[in-house]
Amino acid sequence: MFVLFFLLPRTVRNRLLFLPIAAMTASFLLSIPAFLAVWPGGEKAADEGLWSTTYSMGTIGLKQLDLILRLDAYSAMMMVVVTLVALAVQIYSLSYMHGEERIGWYYAVLSLFTSAMLLVVLAGDYLLFYMAWEVMGLCSYLLIGFWFTEPAARNASIKAFLVTRVGDVGFAIGLAIIWLTVGSFDFHVVLPAAATWAPGIATAAAFMLLFGAMGKSAQFPFHVWLPDAMAGPTPASALIHAATMVAAGVFLVARSLPIFIASGVALHAVLLIGTITAFIGATMACVQYDIKKVLAYSTISQLGYMFIGLGAGSITAGLFHLMTHAFFKSLLFLGAGSIIHALHTQDMREMGGVMKKMPWTTATFSVGALALSGILPFSGFFSKDFILDSLMKQHAYVYYAVALLSALLTAFYMTRLWIRVFVGEPRNENFDHAHESDLKMLVPMGVLAILTVVVGFGIVAMGGFLGSEGEFPNLLAASASTLTALAGIGLGWLLFGGGRDMEALRSRHSLVYQMVSNKYYLDHVVDTTAADYLTLSKGVNWFDKVVINGVVNGTAVTSRWLGNKLKLMQTGKLQTYQRLAVAAAVLIVVIAMLMKGV
Amino acid sequence: MRVGVEFFIWLAAALFVLGLYGALSKRSAVMIFMSLELMANAININLVAMSRFLTPNLMTGQFFAVFMMVVAACEIGLGLALVLALYRQTNTIEVEFLDQLKG
Repeated sequence: MFVLFFLLPRTVRNRLLFLPIAAMTASFLLSIPAFLAVWPGGEKAADEGLWSTTYSMGTIGLKQLDLILRLDAYSAMMMVVVTLVALAVQIYSLSYMHGEERIGWYYAVLSLFTSAMLLVVLAGDYLLFYMAWEVMGLCSYLLIGFWFTEPAARNASIKAFLVTRVGDVGFAIGLAIIWLTVGSFDFHVVLPAAATWAPGIATAAAFMLLFGAMGKSAQFPFHVWLPDAMAGPTPASALIHAATMVAAGVFLVARSLPIFIASGVALHAVLLIGTITAFIGATMACVQYDIKKVLAYSTISQLGYMFIGLGAGSITAGLFHLMTHAFFKSLLFLGAGSIIHALHTQDMREMGGVMKKMPWTTATFSVGALALSGILPFSGFFSKDFILDSLMKQHAYVYYAVALLSALLTAFYMTRLWIRVFVGEPRNENFDHAHESDLKMLVPMGVLAILTVVVGFGIVAMGGFLGSEGEFPNLLAASASTLTALAGIGLGWLLFGGGRDMEALRSRHSLVYQMVSNKYYLDHVVDTTAADYLTLSKGVNWFDKVVINGVVNGTAVTSRWLGNKLKLMQTGKLQTYQRLAVAAAVLIVVIAMLMKGV
Repeated sequence: MRVGVEFFIWLAAALFVLGLYGALSKRSAVMIFMSLELMANAININLVAMSRFLTPNLMTGQFFAVFMMVVAACEIGLGLALVLALYRQTNTIEVEFLDQLKG
């Protein structure tokens, strides 16, 4: 679909939008039977995979290099999630991006992205995984920079690409380590073998893979690109930066968990990084004015949660949260898009009272918000609780405390957002002609909302499906987390309920506020370290321009000089040639005589 | 002293070199042709002398010299025709001015 759209001229493709939507629907419909086919298998399917295709790519040295597509439990689940969210986004975009001049291109890249993501989840070996991973990075770059005439979008897309690229370097090194150790990229070969590796090697490989995952999934300190990526179109953000691409890193770690388990250190690192990310993501979300940025930091925080789940050793916890998060976060983003579309602003300070004008949006958005805060009976409650539960099982009390605190902050900032946007006096001049979004935007949101409500109850089934037990959280944990969530909501209401501003908060805790507002000055740190690197780059550049170009150009110049000199021989005059011929003849005779020893 | 074959060979060589010098350094095309003619005749002398002194019965050299004289004559006719045509084109017979093929 991408190739086709790429080749078509703009006006033609702008009218052919039904094609990618049809393709996406087809993909979604296909993924359901695939999922159902794998479902009954459960544990066994998780290990062996239901179906696979291998494409041989030749050999490296003596070892065979194959690209494998394999459908197993994880792939099937992810396929359904990805195609569903992608379909929702595509239908939503019909309305949101209506009238956009380059809409054909938008759909083309969206299609390419979805296919790349599907390849990532279907990959049966690390190499194909990596290649599809890179394509996703490209699409992210293209979509963030969709409105490339805006400098903000340009910079953000480059930033996103570069930061994830840094992670990808680690990923590539990890691939090299795996190849050197096992001689194959195939998951079914590498993962069972991982248990037999020396801890050092397992750690090295795991860390390198973790590097890649951190870049893609916006873990601290690679999270800096995600908030800026909000310069792209909102539905694209919903798909890529909430539900799918950023989840790819989580997926990588989940797939590679045997390697992490073989190296205890790496697993611990995952837990630690996840916790830090969850916490700082939540804190930064509390002080943002832009709706999308709040959601972006929230995503960072939730990704941290997924890493916590994985770091606690439970694939199910991480992946289940991935699934629920995909649904409710994309729902939230689509809702935000709906609001932005109606009010023409992204700044929360200019919103308020939306509830009166846009009931459906309010309803669906609230479902998403409650799910995110972890309130019963929405899915977010189940998945978040599962993660907290896993922490308890590991007796990781400190981490548990921090995660719980982050949950409190999550509820807090969502409440803040909700109050600011939906309740109170409207502060926006567009408010009067704001209207509810049309069906194309509402239906996807509605579907996602329903899923958000329902999916949570499937936790036991999903657990069995994904290979480890999933259970309803026990009473103690459940009450603890629910209390925390309610506390968060209460706190939010307290501080913002009466339409009070953040001045109170700021004045009381100005230092903390400063630090959190400025993203912990992380960007500054990056800038200063980058400055040194820049001088190195300049030096290398000089070398390249002067020396290497000198050699290349020098060859050309020398040839020309030589040619000019030889040209003098070609005088065009008869006698010159005669003289040369005679001289040559004499020379030959002399040489012949010398050689014969006369 | 007895005149041997060496004498004639030296004579031929001298004439040849003179002709060569003329062919290489004369400006006029006609003079170049004269020098070429001189070279050809030097060779004729060489041939006849060798034949006379080494294999007088066969007379190969003499035959060949006659052939060469005929060829030389034809060659001169052709060459002078060329010079004539050249003069009609460029109004000069000096070979210095023929450098259109200069590279």
